[in-house]
Amino acid sequence: MNRRAPLSHRVADGFGLLYVGAVYAFLLLPIAIIVLMSLNAGEFMTFPPQGISLRWFGALFANEAFMRAIRTSLMLAAVATLISSVIGIAGALYVVRHAERLREPLRMLLMMPLMLPEILTAIALLFFLYASGIGTRTMFGLVVGHVLVTLPYVFTNVASALYNQDASLEQAARSLGASPWRAFVRVTLPLIKPGIITGALFAFVISFDLFNMSLLLKGIGMTTLPLQLFDYLRWDFDPTAAAVSTVSILLTLAVVVWVDRAVGLRSLRFG
Amino acid sequence: MTTIASAAPMPRALRPVPLARRAFWLIAPALVLIGVFLVLPYLNIVLMSLRPPAVGAPYGAGFTLANYGAALTDGYLLGVLGDTLLLGFTVTPICLLLGYPVAYHLARTTSRWGSVLYVLVLSPLLVGVVVRSFGWLILLSGNGVINRVLLDLGLVETGLQLMNNRLGVTIALVHVFLPFMILPLVGVIQSIDPSLEAAARSLGASRLKVFWRLVLPLSWPGIQAGTILVFVLALSAYVTPVMLGGAQVKTMSVLVVQNLIDNFQWPAGAAQALVLTACGMAAVALYAKLTGRFMKGLA
Repeated sequence: MNRRAPLSHRVADGFGLLYVGAVYAFLLLPIAIIVLMSLNAGEFMTFPPQGISLRWFGALFANEAFMRAIRTSLMLAAVATLISSVIGIAGALYVVRHAERLREPLRMLLMMPLMLPEILTAIALLFFLYASGIGTRTMFGLVVGHVLVTLPYVFTNVASALYNQDASLEQAARSLGASPWRAFVRVTLPLIKPGIITGALFAFVISFDLFNMSLLLKGIGMTTLPLQLFDYLRWDFDPTAAAVSTVSILLTLAVVVWVDRAVGLRSLRFG
Repeated sequence: MTTIASAAPMPRALRPVPLARRAFWLIAPALVLIGVFLVLPYLNIVLMSLRPPAVGAPYGAGFTLANYGAALTDGYLLGVLGDTLLLGFTVTPICLLLGYPVAYHLARTTSRWGSVLYVLVLSPLLVGVVVRSFGWLILLSGNGVINRVLLDLGLVETGLQLMNNRLGVTIALVHVFLPFMILPLVGVIQSIDPSLEAAARSLGASRLKVFWRLVLPLSWPGIQAGTILVFVLALSAYVTPVMLGGAQVKTMSVLVVQNLIDNFQWPAGAAQALVLTACGMAAVALYAKLTGRFMKGLA
C-alpha cells in the first residue's frame, strides 16, 4: 500500500490482517497450549501454569505403558515407511517414465488411499482380513493398513521429483553401456533424492500419528502411541498426557525442519 | 514420434520394447497392494452389508437386505445420519470463510515469515488427531483454559458449556480441516496473475468489485476442491466427535465403529457405512453439478 491510500482502505486492510492473524492464532492455539501444559510444575493442568518444570517428562519416561507404545509406533512407522518407499519409488518410476497412456489412471489408482476416508478403508480391511483368514493376530494387517495410507505420500513426492528431471540423463547413461539398475542408482537416484526424503519423512509422520487404522486392525494386547494416549485420556487428565503429546509434536517439528532444509516446504505434495 | 523412430532406427540399448515389458515389474507391487488390499476389501464391504447377523460370530451365512431396511427406517439411525450430514454442512462453510482470506494472504505474502506461516497452516495436518483433539479438550473443558480466562476476567458468572456438545465438535473439526481448504486455494490463487487485479483497479473498478468479479470467479476451482474435500472428511470423522462430543454427539462413524467393535454387528455396521457413503456422494454430486453450472455462468 502506498502512503496515499485512502483511510477507508487502510482501515479495511487493518481489519483484514486482524482477521487473518486470528485464524493463524486459531491454528496454533491447541498445539501451543499442549506444550505449555507439559511444562507445568503443578499437580494438575491448571491455567495459568504454576511455574515451569520438566517433572512430567520424568513421569512420562517412568510410564512403562507409554514407553512401550512409543517403541511400537516407532517400529511400525519405520517398517511401513520402508515398504511404502520401495513400492512408491518403483511405482513412480513406472508411472512417470514408462506408463504413457496409462499414466493418469495409474496415478489416480496410487493416490486412491488418500482420497478414501481412512476409517472406511480400515473397516474394509478388517472385514477382508477376517474373511480371508489372515486375521489380526499378527501385525500383518496393521502394517498393510499403514503402508496403504503412506504410499500416496511417497509416490506423489517422488513422481513430482521425477517429472522435474530430464529422462535423457538416464538414457545417456544407458547408451554409454550402464545397466538399467546402474543407471538408476548412479544417475536417477541422486537426482530424485530430495523427493524420496520428503516422501519418506512424511510417510513416517503420518504412520506414527495414524489412529483409525490402528484402532480397527491392532491385535489383542498391542497398542500404538495414539491409541495409548486416547485410552489414557479416558481415565486420567494429568500433564503426563501433555508431555507425551509434546514429544509427538517435537518429532513432527524435527521432520518439518529437516524437509524445509532439504527441499523447502513449498515443494511438498499432498495430492 | 513413430515417424521419427522409423526414420532413424534407435541404437540397441535404447530400443524401448523389451525394457517396457521388464519395467512393468516396477508397478506390479503397487498394483498387487492396491488391488488385493484396497479394491477387494471395498467390494467386500458390499458383500458384508448383505450378510445376516449371527450370535457368537461377526456375521452369519446367506444373504439378506434386512440391514439396509434397518439403516433406512430406524428413526434413531436416521437421526444420527442427519446429525452427521448437518455437521458436514456447518463445518464446510466455516472452513471456507476462515480459510479463504488466509489462503489469499499466504498466496500473496512476500514476508520472510511466509514459510513459518505455511508450517502453521500445515500443522493440524501433521500433528496427530488425538493430540490435536486433546489440545481442544484442555481449552474447552468445563475447567478448561477458555473458561478459566473468562471467569478470571469476570466476563461470565459461570463456566460456559463449550464441549460435550455440537459446538466443541464443530470448533475442533474446523481446526483439523482448515489445511484441506487452504492448500488447494493457495495453489489456485497463486496462479492468478496479480497484474490482472492491478489492471482492473487502474480501469476504475473498486477493490470490492475486483474481488467479486475477478479474484473470486478465478478461484472457483480451488473453492470447489476445498469444500468437497472438507465435507467428505467431516462426514467420516471419528476421533474428534468421540473426544469432544462425549455421549451427546453421535456421528455415523462413531455408531459404525461401536457396531463393529463393541456390539460385534458387522453386517449392520457395513450397511450403515455404505448408506453414509452414498448420502455423501449424492451431496457432492449435486453440489458439483450446481457449482459447475455456476462456474459455466461466470465464464
